[in-house]
Amino acid sequence: MGSLYSEYHTWLHAVPAGWKLTFLVLLSTGIFWIQDPVWLGVACALTVVVYLSLGKARVQGHALLRSLLIATALVLAFHSVLHQPMVGVVSSLRMVAATLLSISLTLTTRSADLQQVLECMLAPLELLGVRTSNFALQLALMLRFIEHFFAVWKRLDESHRLRTGKGGGLRLLAPLTIQMLQTARRVADTLDVRLGK
Amino acid sequence: MQHRNHSTALIALFAALMAVLGLIPKIDLPLGVPITLQTLGVMLAGCLLGPRRAFQALIVFLVAVAIGLPLLSGGRGGFGVFTTPSAGYLLGWPVGAFVAGWIMQVLHASSPRRIALSAFVASMFGGLMVIHLGGVVGLMAIAGMSPTQALMGTAVFVPGDLIKCILTAVICHTVARGLPDWQFGKSSA
Repeated sequence: MGSLYSEYHTWLHAVPAGWKLTFLVLLSTGIFWIQDPVWLGVACALTVVVYLSLGKARVQGHALLRSLLIATALVLAFHSVLHQPMVGVVSSLRMVAATLLSISLTLTTRSADLQQVLECMLAPLELLGVRTSNFALQLALMLRFIEHFFAVWKRLDESHRLRTGKGGGLRLLAPLTIQMLQTARRVADTLDVRLGK
Repeated sequence: MQHRNHSTALIALFAALMAVLGLIPKIDLPLGVPITLQTLGVMLAGCLLGPRRAFQALIVFLVAVAIGLPLLSGGRGGFGVFTTPSAGYLLGWPVGAFVAGWIMQVLHASSPRRIALSAFVASMFGGLMVIHLGGVVGLMAIAGMSPTQALMGTAVFVPGDLIKCILTAVICHTVARGLPDWQFGKSSA
């Protein structure tokens, strides 16, 4: 499964992931405190400049941009219908600025680098009993399980078609869940052997 | 260590389930919020894993989304999704899974039928109410809606989510019959 990272190198690729993420959080938080549409417009224009400066690296982000444009259009239309267009404009400017920065971060930062930064940021969750040190293993297992899900689903669907002549659809969710829970138990046994009990 | 490895495998499994459910086509409604089966994944995680592991499974999934994997419905991913009107729903997922798991734990049930009923109640509170509360907060903060407008905006998803609560109950009932030793809502399954 591929990520949205762009191999086409830009100036933003050279900035460390931690710096980019910190800047994103600070700027996004700051944007939400600004009420003046003029200043929001300036902030938005700056983020558009940053995004456009990524050149060919933007290609990977077209789908994300499409979602953003649709959401923006709908927010503007919604508030126009309610006769409060300025609320729509302010909300849209905030959303566009924060999202363009986020897309720029995603396109120019490797998943592994972001994962390292996020593991550090989420470390306080250890106090709540959440084992963040295991994230790398859990992410890797997650990707393997996704492939396995489809393999099992396909097998169940073929069996259902053989018996009934029709696809199984959502009826397969229950047997799929049982089979995957059993797979998880086997994977856990394997981890016990490999990582030690 | 054995229990820890089992938890690791289950957390990864349900994070994967969320991704798989996101690949089933979505329907787009006004304000760009999609109807997907991923909320079903939240409900199942809570009912089957217990509060802590369900919470962690959803955190792992959201981390995967944040680092750029296109795991949300429509192939969306990256930090940008946390700045759109649906961000409240996303951030409500781990909390909703935790609440569903906690309620499942409290409603300790033995027979498959009672497990199904408990799963329905847990899904209603965790998978529906908590997530919709998160969604309302998100719509207010990002789309600039008033509480009433946000509540009305989120209400359109309630019928679909009620169906998912029923589906969760049916699936838990089947799991209870197929895996009689499975401890619903507990961290020692």
